[in-house]
Amino acid sequence: MKKLFKTGEIFIWFTGFGLAVTLLMISGLLVLVLLKGSDYYYPSKLASVSTVDGKNYLGQMVREEPIPKSNLPDSLRDKDLERYNLKIANRDIYGLDFKWIEQPEIKSILYPKDAAVIERMEFGNFNGYPIKLTKDGQTVIEGDENVEEGISSYLDKISDFRDEINHLSKSEVGKINYKIEQLRLDIKKLQYYNRDDISKVQEQIDQIQDKIDKLNNNYAVISHKVDSIKHIASRYSLLVKTAEGDEKQIDLLNIVRIYYPNRMSFVQKAGFIVNKIVEFLVEDPRESNTEGGVFPAIFGTVMMVILMSLVAVPFGVIAALYLREYAKQGAFVRLVRIAVNNLAGIPSIVFGVFGLGFFIYFVGGTIDKLFYPEILPTPTWGTGGILWASLTLALLTVPVVIVSTEEALASIPRGIREASLALGSTKWQTVRRIVLPAAAPGILTGVILAMARGAGEVAPLMITGVVKLAPNLPLDGNFPFFHLDRKFMHLGFHIFDVGFQSPNVEAALPMVYMTTLLLILIVVLLNISAMVLRNRLRKKYKSSTF
Amino acid sequence: MSDKRLEIKKKKAAHKRAVFFDKLAKYSIYAGGIAVIIAITGILAFIVVEAYPLFSGADGNEKAVIKEGRYGLPVLTGIDEYQEIAYIITDSASVDFIRLESKTPIKKIVFKELNDRTVFSASADMSKKHVALGLDSGKVALINIDYNITFDENDNRIITPEVSLVSYFTLDSTMQSITNLEYQVDEDGNPSLGAVTRDGRFLFYSKYQEQSLFGEGEVTEYKYDLSDDVSTRIKTLAMDSECRKLMAGDEKGSVYYFDISDKANPRMEKRLIVLDNSDVKLTAIKFILGDQSLIVGTSDGKVSSWMKVNEENTETGWKWVKAHTFEQHSAAITTIAPSTRNKCFFTASSDGEIKLHYLTSEKMLLSINEYKIPVKYIEFSPKADGAIILYKDGLISNYKIDDPHPEVTLYSLFGKVWYEGYKQPEYVWQSTGGTDEFEPKFSLVPLIIGTLKGTFYAMIFAIPLSLLGALYLSTFSHPNLRNKVKPIVELLAALPSVVIGFLAGLWFAPLLERILPGVLLMLIVLPITVIIGVSIWRYFPKMRLGLKGGYEVLFLIPLVILGVMISIELSPWFESFLFGGDYRVWLFDTLNTNYDQRNSIVVGFAMGFAVIPIIFTICEDALSSVPQHLTSASLALGATKWQTSIRVVLPTASPGIFSAIMIGLGRAVGETMIVLMATGNTPILSFSPFNGFRTLSANIAVEIPEAPYHGTLYRVLFVSAVLLFLLTFLVNTVAEVVRQRLRKKYMHI
Repeated sequence: MKKLFKTGEIFIWFTGFGLAVTLLMISGLLVLVLLKGSDYYYPSKLASVSTVDGKNYLGQMVREEPIPKSNLPDSLRDKDLERYNLKIANRDIYGLDFKWIEQPEIKSILYPKDAAVIERMEFGNFNGYPIKLTKDGQTVIEGDENVEEGISSYLDKISDFRDEINHLSKSEVGKINYKIEQLRLDIKKLQYYNRDDISKVQEQIDQIQDKIDKLNNNYAVISHKVDSIKHIASRYSLLVKTAEGDEKQIDLLNIVRIYYPNRMSFVQKAGFIVNKIVEFLVEDPRESNTEGGVFPAIFGTVMMVILMSLVAVPFGVIAALYLREYAKQGAFVRLVRIAVNNLAGIPSIVFGVFGLGFFIYFVGGTIDKLFYPEILPTPTWGTGGILWASLTLALLTVPVVIVSTEEALASIPRGIREASLALGSTKWQTVRRIVLPAAAPGILTGVILAMARGAGEVAPLMITGVVKLAPNLPLDGNFPFFHLDRKFMHLGFHIFDVGFQSPNVEAALPMVYMTTLLLILIVVLLNISAMVLRNRLRKKYKSSTF
Repeated sequence: MSDKRLEIKKKKAAHKRAVFFDKLAKYSIYAGGIAVIIAITGILAFIVVEAYPLFSGADGNEKAVIKEGRYGLPVLTGIDEYQEIAYIITDSASVDFIRLESKTPIKKIVFKELNDRTVFSASADMSKKHVALGLDSGKVALINIDYNITFDENDNRIITPEVSLVSYFTLDSTMQSITNLEYQVDEDGNPSLGAVTRDGRFLFYSKYQEQSLFGEGEVTEYKYDLSDDVSTRIKTLAMDSECRKLMAGDEKGSVYYFDISDKANPRMEKRLIVLDNSDVKLTAIKFILGDQSLIVGTSDGKVSSWMKVNEENTETGWKWVKAHTFEQHSAAITTIAPSTRNKCFFTASSDGEIKLHYLTSEKMLLSINEYKIPVKYIEFSPKADGAIILYKDGLISNYKIDDPHPEVTLYSLFGKVWYEGYKQPEYVWQSTGGTDEFEPKFSLVPLIIGTLKGTFYAMIFAIPLSLLGALYLSTFSHPNLRNKVKPIVELLAALPSVVIGFLAGLWFAPLLERILPGVLLMLIVLPITVIIGVSIWRYFPKMRLGLKGGYEVLFLIPLVILGVMISIELSPWFESFLFGGDYRVWLFDTLNTNYDQRNSIVVGFAMGFAVIPIIFTICEDALSSVPQHLTSASLALGATKWQTSIRVVLPTASPGIFSAIMIGLGRAVGETMIVLMATGNTPILSFSPFNGFRTLSANIAVEIPEAPYHGTLYRVLFVSAVLLFLLTFLVNTVAEVVRQRLRKKYMHI
């Protein structure tokens, strides 16, 4: 032992301990997110718990933990007792989705084969025993197995109906609303610019009003169509028995999917998981973001990152070219380089504050005053939007691009440049044909790193245009297609919002873990590709130096 | 033309084009590069410019002056909310309305009841709609003045003044003229009035109308002579806007505090002394908005504010303290006028000087000394964006005041401020409140302390772990291991902080609350596991799991996991051993602190987690770029590996380690999402590790969406952004300079 201290070997082990803890924490974090996220998609068994006082609950076990001894009466202190958190769902009946049940309360736990989880459009899941499918109150299918077998074709049909309704009421009505809104703005504009003598443009206004009326008629037609589809669909409903034995009708239109976790085979479970993942990626969120998918958030994140790169990359590359190739190397350039380096360390919220003050209030406010005076004080550009958020993030990520581009430029051997110049090409020709292509992987590395940073950043976005639920995507079928003034959704903000500002955090947790997993995946993949590129670049120039 | 010449021509053209593009590219790159540099430096400039107006004073511009005296000397004036039409009450009890800009009279009203009365005193209430006139023969007239605002078809504003005599009665039965008045009407419309007669008696009048569901009830009138309660002649009066407190001051500096909330029974509560110098006389007192602070003006031009402060050891349960003093006038204070919107007030003196002050910041916002004539009366406009000043000789002047940020000074941002309702000066951040009278409190100190607290806990967690880890990886580990581990840690530096914050707030915080004793236990258990580990490695080589030297860390990992599990398992036992039951109860009983679930320890872990990869990577770079020949020389001289690393490698790389820590620090200072999610965000000043806090950055994120553009809160948040910018820029620059020095040093070794 003495020797261990004398040679210092024990201290070496303590340094190793530091690394071990660091590595453990890193892997622990990733494993945690992975486990918690996949929990959501695993169709865990439905337990039917009957308690000593004669109550019955049907739910999925979410967590079990020992009961703290201090909470127990003296007689039970010496036993190790557990308590279970049951997801009993049926929010419309119980009010809460979860219930803690302590072991001493429990009389029996069964896993009935005919218990089913019904995912609904509203009020979350429903746990119960399906009895029969009815149409206008007449039985169509009856019997547990028959229902499971037969209902899927009905659900497919209903799902088609729902898509149709969705399409009509979102895209079609959305289009009409957008047009009406634009026409209204036109009227306002006419009224504003001819406010001294409104009669001059009265004719034009009437014409626009006619158009609006026509659109309103179209709207009525569509909403009639929607109503008739709803009417047909609402004739079907499912009769379900709850754990307590009460019967309840659930409209088929309200059912997303139905599954019997206690008798699912492995293949069925796998299929179920795939199904859920697809839903998560391509569907809109439901029930204030706690169910459904995150498609708008993915879309918003991607579009924001692209817009940001469109600004940050050219300017970053130009600035790096200037600093490395064109500017006279001296104290000034050194100073600028330090400043640029440090800018990457400025807190992102400071950029957010700048974006809010400069882009939104100053630039946006000025645009509104000049071009949209008719609808003031309602802001058009003078409020958060995807353009301002992207520009703010572009400022934040420009230093990343500059630094890595400079590094790439610096790593190109001077001989290559000199050879090009010696052959009589101009500086620009050298830069364009020789230097830039050679530095391309390095620049790309910077771009990817900037994208990863942009994708994961939340604080500055919170104040420059991200919202918890955006009614429209910033890109749609209505002219001019790109709506850069619109607010948007973002994966990182989604995590913050659903995890911390949602009314039902417990029920939303799985969703947050999945979103977290997705965000980590995106960022990690981007970073890994940057690393691979960088390594390739290094290898390339190792061999070509002379 | 031969082909050759054509070719030359083509070549020349190509050359020209190349040169042209070269120049074009050169200039655009110059322009672009410089533009980016300007944009980057422009960020700081912009946020400074946005924050700066906080510290400038108010602007006041005289908009109109009129001289009035046709119908007698003016005694009271007032103005409408658009500052277009002023009213003037003269000593012959006439009410004149005059359009200020054009100086044209609009309306003149002489009530026939008041036809040959003389006005000796006048007072307007806080709402500026009710005026009382003290007349000769003990009479009092109550007048309502209102401005009716309508818009015509072209949206032009039409202001119609309206005036009515509400009541006219005899207050003093001995028919002495009323020489001093203080008048307020409470929100139910019940008037109260304090008055002093020519022969020095002090009277109180109020009228109370029963309000019930079935309409208006009985009217009761109260008249009291309170002269017996005061031993000296009353010089000046003040009443709060809810008619609960009536203050009467004599010249010697006593203020008699009457509790008049029970109108049937006005009670002298206490005699308060506001002067300590017998040569000086008390000349004016007035309540300001919120009715808590009484402004006191004296004959030597001093202005101070007094308020009640709760204190248990006195018989009344409170004491009367001087909280603020304001810039002195050079002559006696003649009148004090409170703002209708905030805690601003005017003071004016007999040499014609007028000053605008703000209560809690003690800031002197504006000073006017235009005419050198004694000021008789000042009143704020209803929106508090202007004032109307009445001088002794009937000169009336209207000022427009632009006073956007009266409550903030450098001192109020960084020093202790004595707010109303507080026992002593304190650092408080409270930006919004429930009522109109609420005063926003902007002290950055709790936020700065919060920032430092968060950074501190993050660093004590991150520095040891990342330093040890980096040292191991760079000097003791096998190169193969190093090549695999380094990119993983680097990758982690890019992990979005929102992810860490979410896990810290929703997963780790509840977990830590359960196993905190276990975490304390780890501080003992884990070192023991390491010692066990090294002993096994050394004395039982067969149990090395086939690992070579340089891979010790892989051997340690399962042991550490075991250690952590044992600690958590033993947590309840350890808890009852150390704290005799629930540790939260123990904390509350012995240390008198509450345990917040989202506290500094959670943030320390989470933010530490976020900075570890940064410190780790830069440290490792610095350590592993120590020139090989140095370590080789050391080892060749017989030093052990450990000695070499501690005596040779560490000192050489220390500047690099320093800059790594600095950069980590910079990141922790500005981190927003983790703090936002893992603390309770309460802006309180507490040093306990078991409480939450709010940092500058989280504060910006929380408050700026609600901050009106160019409002005080908005600008204060910009000040905190400037602070954050400068702080991180400084830290990063130091780190960068140190790093560049180090690079040079290595080149020379």
